[in-house]
This record gives sequence, C-alpha cells and structure tokens, in this order.
Amino acid sequence: MLTAPRGGCQSAWGGPARTDMADGRPFYLNLLRIRLPIGGWVSILHRVSGALLALATPLLLYAFMLSLDSPEGYACVVGFFASVPGFLLALGLVWATLHHFLAGLRHLAMDLGWGKDRRPARLSAFASVALALLLTLAWAVG
Amino acid sequence: MRTVAGARRGLDLWLWQRASAVVMALYLPAFALYAAIHAPLDYTAWRGLFDPLIVKLATLIFIAAALLHAWIGLREILIDYVHVLGLRLALYLAFGLLYAGCLLWAAAILWGTA
Repeated sequence: MLTAPRGGCQSAWGGPARTDMADGRPFYLNLLRIRLPIGGWVSILHRVSGALLALATPLLLYAFMLSLDSPEGYACVVGFFASVPGFLLALGLVWATLHHFLAGLRHLAMDLGWGKDRRPARLSAFASVALALLLTLAWAVG
Repeated sequence: MRTVAGARRGLDLWLWQRASAVVMALYLPAFALYAAIHAPLDYTAWRGLFDPLIVKLATLIFIAAALLHAWIGLREILIDYVHVLGLRLALYLAFGLLYAGCLLWAAAILWGTA
C-alpha cells in the first residue's frame, strides 16, 4: 500500500456552523459563509488563475504554432481571438496572467521579508487585485 | 514500505518554483517591450521577432520555466484536492508527460520544424 498524509476538514459542507472543534470555535467550508480577508482572496485567485494558465498552456502552444506556420495560420489565430468566444478566452487569460504575475511578485517580495506586516500586506493584496483588474480593462478597451 | 508523498521534496520544489517565476518575470516584460518596438505586427514581422537565435533560446527557456512552474503548481493543487494517492500520482505523472511533450513541441515550433 502507498500512503499519503490525509487532509482534514472533509465534512461540514454547509448547514449551521459546527462548534465541535476542541476549542469550541465554529468551522465550516460553506464558501458562501466564509468571509475571506483580502489576502485570502489574492491567494485563492492566485490558485484559480494558475490552474487556468496551466490548463491553457498546450492550447496556447497550438495557437503559437499556427501563428508562425503560415500567413493563413496567423490570420486564423488573429481571427479567433477577435471572435466573441476567442475574445472572452483572451480576456480570461490576460486577467489570469496579470493577477498571477502581480500576486507572484508579492509572494517573492514576502519571501525576501518585505511587506509582511499586517498593513503593507493588506495594501499589497488590494493593489494586486485592483491593478490586475484595471490592466485587464485597459487591455480590453485598448 | 516506500513513502511516495510528503514534505521531503518540498524545499527543492519551492526553490524551483521561485526560480522559474523569476525567469518568467524577466522574460515577459522584456518580450512585451521587444514586440512593442516592432509594432504594428503582421505575419512577416511576427515571424521576424523569433528569427534571432537569442530570442529563440530565451523563448524556449521561458516556456520551459512556465511548464515546470505549472507542473509544480498543479502538484500543490492535486495534493489538496485528490486524496486517492494512486489517482493523484497518475494525474501528476500524466501532466509531467504532457508538459515534457510540450517542451519538445515548443522547440520544434521555434526551429520551424513543427
């Protein structure tokens, strides 16, 4: 048998808050009831954007191949990203890239010990989310 | 019994994740600037961007960093959400094969043989 460390917290998907933890604090995994601090939002969006980019990478390589292959292939890729579904996909990928990039720089800064106190950490978290959204908007209209 | 999961490989992967992030953080703005200088782009100009050997190499290293970064990142996600160890390892290795193929594919694209 192979073994792995087990994660906890696999029950309690909603309903009233459970209070049977050892210290009596409530815990639940109902996402509609969890109030995430801004740093938590940056973290989960970092994961979501990373997963999106990881899954899109082979598709992007395919588009890259087409775009370099021939003038027709280039026109095909440009045309796809100008279509409605293509534009929406590009919008999602541009946001994912920007958010992942900015939140990643924030992680690297914290690895170096910069901005780890509560106030700068919250400020940089707000800045990452806001700047990624603003730059995505700028890309969309530009 | 051999333990095939756990924290033993953590520091290695942590470091590679940072190193690949730095490679991408350097390449992306540099390439955006390089492409902006040559704008507006059509097919000929776009192809021309990848003519210099240094751009081919930098782009290949960027893609290698992105694929490695994606593989390590997916491992974190699989560890959190896929608790059946056999399935987790199968998915992890399947993405490893997929990304290894992608790296060879990227080289073929850049050197014009794909």
